[in-house]
Amino acid sequence: MTAVTDMKSIPPAPVIRKTPKATFDLVFRNASFLAALLVLVLLAGIMLSMIVGGWPAFREFGLGFITSSVWDTQNEQYGAWPAIVGTLSTALIALVIGVPLSLGIAVFLTQLAPPWFKRPVATAIELLAAVPSIIYGMWGLFVFAPLFAAYVQIPLSNIVEGIPIVGTVLYSRSPSGLGIFTAGIILAFMIVPFIASITRDMLEQIPSVLRESAYGIGATTWEVVRHVLVPQAGVSIIGAIMLGLGRALGETMAVTFVVGNANRLSASILDPGSTIASRIANEFNEAMGLQLNSLIALGCILFFVTFVVLVIARLLVARVKKF
Amino acid sequence: MLSTLELSPQSLDAEAPVRIAVKNLDFYYGEHKALKNINLDFRDRHVTALIGPSGCGKSTLLRIFNRIYSLYPEQKATGEIMLDGRNIISNDVDVNELRSRVGMVFQKPTPFPMSIYDNVAFGIRLYEKPPKSELDDRVEGALRRAALWDEVKDKLKSSGMGLSGGQQQRLCIARTIAQKPEVILFDEPTSALDPISTGKIEDLLEQLKSDFTIAIVTHNMQQAARISQYTAFMYLGEVIEFAPTNTIFMNPAKKQTQDYVTGRFG
Repeated sequence: MTAVTDMKSIPPAPVIRKTPKATFDLVFRNASFLAALLVLVLLAGIMLSMIVGGWPAFREFGLGFITSSVWDTQNEQYGAWPAIVGTLSTALIALVIGVPLSLGIAVFLTQLAPPWFKRPVATAIELLAAVPSIIYGMWGLFVFAPLFAAYVQIPLSNIVEGIPIVGTVLYSRSPSGLGIFTAGIILAFMIVPFIASITRDMLEQIPSVLRESAYGIGATTWEVVRHVLVPQAGVSIIGAIMLGLGRALGETMAVTFVVGNANRLSASILDPGSTIASRIANEFNEAMGLQLNSLIALGCILFFVTFVVLVIARLLVARVKKF
Repeated sequence: MLSTLELSPQSLDAEAPVRIAVKNLDFYYGEHKALKNINLDFRDRHVTALIGPSGCGKSTLLRIFNRIYSLYPEQKATGEIMLDGRNIISNDVDVNELRSRVGMVFQKPTPFPMSIYDNVAFGIRLYEKPPKSELDDRVEGALRRAALWDEVKDKLKSSGMGLSGGQQQRLCIARTIAQKPEVILFDEPTSALDPISTGKIEDLLEQLKSDFTIAIVTHNMQQAARISQYTAFMYLGEVIEFAPTNTIFMNPAKKQTQDYVTGRFG
């Protein structure tokens, strides 16, 4: 303390630079605060306008809006069920196909690939992530769907016809190549680059000494990957999968191209269907009145579903972290 | 300097059979020759320390004994390392089986992302399918031998990552000895630990010697003097001197060894 009081008796040093004005700091602080506030205002504004816009539909149909399968523009009857089911089932199919594929790619690239092969594959993955979704949609519609119809849908339908359950789920009444399953496959292609490249980064960050010690007690590559490396990167891998799921749920353009856009709910995953996003994209232009309200209400539901997925992801990650 | 070294009190058994015999061993990282014509004998149930300045190849040598280097295609070894009458660096050796017989403990603790119990059971389960009760016994036995049992017996199901650094290292030792290997390699096992944990690990090494052949790389000369019966001094990829630890520290034959153990270089 004495040192501080001594300092005061020293005459002030000649001013070499201007003292910074406190106002700059104040402006800077308020500007950054406003930027942060803007996010909250935007979110609240979007939510509010969605709810206000969708309210007439919710009021008209009540809970029936979610459970009803009718979408009848002539009689002004709207129900969201087929779109909700379509959204969830395409996303689920995308995950079922995409996640093992992504993990396989990531493990191969980090553990098994010879160095000369690593870089081209890794670059290709990054490039795939940059392909615009409309390209996936066009490719899906003009290239993939016809092939899928000819080599999978038709033969498969012939095989399963008449078999209980399987004959329903996998039977295609209109083998055009378009449908829920096709949309799921295209979505899988779209989310693979995300999940694979994040997982690869995570696996690469694992210290090599952990890998060496797992090999060091005589574990095979499969055992090292399965029991040590993947659990070690577990939380991040779940995060990557959730990111992919988020994309799959909301993806609009590519899905609209290949999902078939049927308003009816079919028991077969090979039949055309629709998702929330594709339904909105298809009808928004000409919609008015209650139809428009119903579409906005659909948007509300998509918003809610994505939010729930995010919350579940957070909870999962929190639980894994605790362990 | 020499008088402050506390030399290992136990007498070494010069008649002990040779467990690992290294003959004319060369090792390459790509084009770079990292080990030159190594000849060493590791005696059964003795601790052999490898000392030398950083980069002298002592860790490299250790990593050959369980073929960890085979994970990296650009690394290769030539020569002969005989273990139980087999040359373990030949291509027809089953490296996974070899690694279960030649355990390794690394510089940093490497608990696996699983429970304490599973960490120890992991290595056993790879090669044996013992009934639950026997597995329990072996896990407990390994944890007891690693002087960790009393600290973890109430939380065997919790994650091994939650232990302290010293506990994690003892967990790794427990995991290694649970497999009942013949040889255990220690690569600077205490360099990341505090003095108390280091003391515990050194006590442990002293006890493990009765059952296992041990090779340890260490930067700490006092540690080498305390725990080993044989010491090899390495420099620039060559073994400069290999002798009983007392000889290396009290009466080395080479001037370089003398300079290193007295702290004049390295």
